[in-house]
This record gives sequence, structure tokens and C-alpha cells, in this order.
Amino acid sequence: MIERYHPFLHQFPPGASKELQIFSILAQSFFQPFSLMDNLLVILTALTAGSGLGFNRAMLLLADGDVLKGEFWLGPASPEEASSIWEVLSTPGIGYTEIIEHNRNLVASEANPLVQQVKKISFPLFEENPTIPALAASSREIIVVRDAFREPLVDRQFLDILKADEFLCIPLLSQDEIFGEIILDNAITRLPIQSRDIELASICGLAAGNYIYVTKLQKRVIEMKKQAALGEMAMFVTHQLRTPLVTIGGFIDQLLDPKTNAAKKKRNLRIIRSEIARLERIMLRLTRFFRIDIKEKVPVNIQEVFKLITESLKYRLAGRRIVLKTEVQPGLTSILAEPVHLAEALRNVVENALDALADGGHVFLRAYRENKDWAVISVEDNGRGIPESIKGKIFDTFVSTKEKGIGLGLAYVKRFMEACQGKIVVDSQEGKGTTFKLYFRSGGWE
Amino acid sequence: MKKKKRLLVVEDEKNLCLLYREELTKEGYKVTTVSDAETALSLIKKQPFDLIITDIRMPVKNGIELITQIMALRKDIPIIINTAYQSYKHDFMTWAADAYIVKSASLDELKSKVRELIG
Repeated sequence: MIERYHPFLHQFPPGASKELQIFSILAQSFFQPFSLMDNLLVILTALTAGSGLGFNRAMLLLADGDVLKGEFWLGPASPEEASSIWEVLSTPGIGYTEIIEHNRNLVASEANPLVQQVKKISFPLFEENPTIPALAASSREIIVVRDAFREPLVDRQFLDILKADEFLCIPLLSQDEIFGEIILDNAITRLPIQSRDIELASICGLAAGNYIYVTKLQKRVIEMKKQAALGEMAMFVTHQLRTPLVTIGGFIDQLLDPKTNAAKKKRNLRIIRSEIARLERIMLRLTRFFRIDIKEKVPVNIQEVFKLITESLKYRLAGRRIVLKTEVQPGLTSILAEPVHLAEALRNVVENALDALADGGHVFLRAYRENKDWAVISVEDNGRGIPESIKGKIFDTFVSTKEKGIGLGLAYVKRFMEACQGKIVVDSQEGKGTTFKLYFRSGGWE
Repeated sequence: MKKKKRLLVVEDEKNLCLLYREELTKEGYKVTTVSDAETALSLIKKQPFDLIITDIRMPVKNGIELITQIMALRKDIPIIINTAYQSYKHDFMTWAADAYIVKSASLDELKSKVRELIG
């Protein structure tokens, strides 16, 4: 015999212990997309819901640098509001989901007086003699304040806002960081805070601290990934520029040598000029790669693009047994794209095809409609094909199989196609050839 | 007159080959340049060289593979790695070389390293 339970949907009966009630409310955070503020709201709900810990009000303060700032405050603003809200919330059929939704609207409401007041709260952390509330976070201790109006450690301005003579401060912490604080009170029912309430609230505080910690970790990971990519980029640019610079430097040194004769000087200048041209080409390619920003698509005549490409690559066909053919399906005249990027992207693909043909072969450029959704430009060659080992990586930045390859060509094509909301399909067999198909969205052609 | 020491430079950049050949010849060496590792290996099998200078990033076979194969052929030839990349220093196979030089616009470091290794 087996029994089955849904792991995320525990809802214990109202008679169950407070511990179980709190756990089940906290479990709510597991089946919603992870959002820090939502999850903190769930915790405050667990602390205030009648079936949870049942505190009247819960205030969340978050550390922002060295300052503790009010973030949100959950609870009724007056005894009258309290009785009406609690009545609604105790209606049969109202579950945690509804309560959380209700609370979400409550803290989002600008008209809510608690929301207006909590935003005014700001206390410096780590002062020499911190007052309450900052004391709990600074000292990493849970503090219960009773008879608050006579307690000199409580900040008077804070008390003016809170207006409760008994309250509980729960610091939100990780091992080495202070994230904030939760303030709980029973300002309306005036029920005393029990030691069991303190223990359970402290567990909720740990959960909240943990949420904040995880969120910060996630942010740090993303930041590190970005930095790693930037570092890789910087390295790559350095290497690309180093060879031409080294060459230029070396030949200039020769120019400076009085023993160098006139013919050699002239030759050196020619070499230097060609290396400078190479630097320019590298920079042009880099700028183009980082600046794909298609603001406006215009109809681009496919025949003209094909013509442009075949013209610009003529020099590469000279002396090679390569046939470069083009064909445009009748009726398909233009596609909507950015003409400069389209020509450049297509030239990249065709150049790759030419590179794949060592001893000759054919490259076939075609444009046709595939169905009502897509217009396709395909580039087919019968060259050596893409090795199995790098098939998954051909669109990655800085991956190249060519001796002087920067590894930007196909990465650029991919970025261009993404900017066009199109797609690329590659079909390649080693030894037989490769076909690249660039798919442009419908409406992208007439 | 003392016999000239023979250098083999493996470098796929045509202009750099020319530069190294001229500059190292001026230093009094007999310089041979090749643009790929395979040609380098077949030359090493046929002719005695006193020192090899190799790039790492080259088409077909890279400098690290080349070093491994040279070591198998002749352990005693000093090898200088001359590359645009710092990062290969972390590849332990490059430790087998006698020197690791990051390509620079000045050839002073390369020249003095050659001098230091073979005189």
C-alpha cells in the first residue's frame, strides 16, 4: 500500500501545531518563481497569519550598506481595520495563497499608512552605541523589548512610528553578513510575546536570512560570469592585436638602423602598411560584432545582395576550380533586414564555404520560401564538412578552425539572425559538404 | 673562423619569419625559417640544429605538439617558445622548453635568450 502527497501543497488543518502551520506557509515559497521580495513576504505572512504565528504586525528592515532601511510593513493600520481584515481572512476557503496575495496587494498599496511610514525608517548600523532597532542587527541578537516607552535603548523616533510597548526584533543574518531585521508586535490585541513565539520567529528569521543570502550569491555568480567573459574578451583582443604590432615594431627598428639600405626601408614600409591594414580589419570586425543593433528593417533585394557577394568574393575564386552559383525563387524579390549586416553575415557564411573547398567544388546560394512563415537563404557547399567534434561549438565566440581565424564570423551571423528574429539551421557531413540555412521571419518578405 | 650556429624558427606569420631571419642573421647565426610544425620536424630529422624557436598557435600542428615530438627525437636541442600568448605558460608541456618569451615589438629579449643558450 502506498500513500501519496504533493510535496509542495501541504496545508495542515487549522488544528495542527503552530510549527507545522509555519512550515506549510513557508513551503509556499517553493512553488512560486524565486523572487526575493515575494519570498520575504511569505515569511512575514507566516509570522502574521492567524493560522501561523499570529503576530499582529511584521515590519521588514533591510541593510543597505551601513544603513538599516524600512522595506515593508504588514498588518492592519488600526483596530477597526484589523477586525475587518481578520474577518475576511478567516472566511472558509481562504488559504495561504489567498492570504499571501492579499498581503502582496497590501504592501504594494501607496495609500496604506503603514507602507508610507515604514519608508521613513532608516538607522545606521555598526554605530558605537546603537539604539533599537539597529542594536539587534548590529549585535546579531534577538531582542525582546517590553515596556518600550520606558526603555532608554529604544530609539524614540522609531517608537513614535511603531507605537507598541512590546515588540520583538529578529536579525536577518548569514554566517558573516547582516542583511536586515524583522520587527514583530501585537499592537492591536496587546497579547504578550511568549517564549515559543520567539523561538519560532527566530526560525523564520533564519529562513529569511537564507533567502537573502542565496539571492546575493546568485547575483555574485552572474557578476563573476560577466567579468570572466569580459576578461576573455580583453585577452582575445590583446592577442589579436599583438601579432601585427610586434611585426610593425620589429620592422620600424630596422628602419631606425642607419645601416638599413633604401630598398629595404621601402620594403619595410610596405610591410608596415599592410600590417596596419590588418589592424584596421581586426578592429572593423570587432566593432561590427559588438554593434549589431537593428533599429529598422528595410526590404533588401536578394538578387542585389547575391550579386554584391559574388563580386566581392571574385578574387577568392581566381585560379581555383570553384563554381559559385546563385538562384532566387521566382516571386521572392526581397526580405526585410538590415542590408549592411545581411550582406556581411552572408559573406561570412559564403567565405566559410569557400574555405571548406580545398581543391575545388561548388557553392550554391539560394533564396526560397519554405512555407508561409519563413523565407530562407541557403548556402550549400560540397567541401570537407564540419568535424563532428566542433559541430556543437561553431557559433561560439572565439572558436575557429582556420589558421588566422578570429572565431567571430559565425558568432556574428548568429547574433545577426537573433537580431532579425530569425534562425539558422546547419546540416553538415564530413567529407560531403555543409548547408547553412538562414531563416527570415514571414512578413520579412513580400 | 668559428662555424655559425644554426637556428630553426617555426613561425606561421610570413612577415615575422622575415624579420626573425634578418635580425638573427645579423646576430651571426645561420637561420632557417619554416611556417609549420610538420616541415620543422622533417628538417630536424635531416639536419642538425643548435636551437629551435617556435610559435605555439599554428595551423595543423601546434608548437606544444612540436616540442613533444622534438623531445622524442633529440632531447639535447634547446627550445625557445616565442608566442603572443601568456596563457600557455600554464600548460606544463611548455615547461619542457628552455625559455618562454611573449612576442614583443622589441627583439632584445629573444636575441639575448638565444645568446645565453648557445652563445
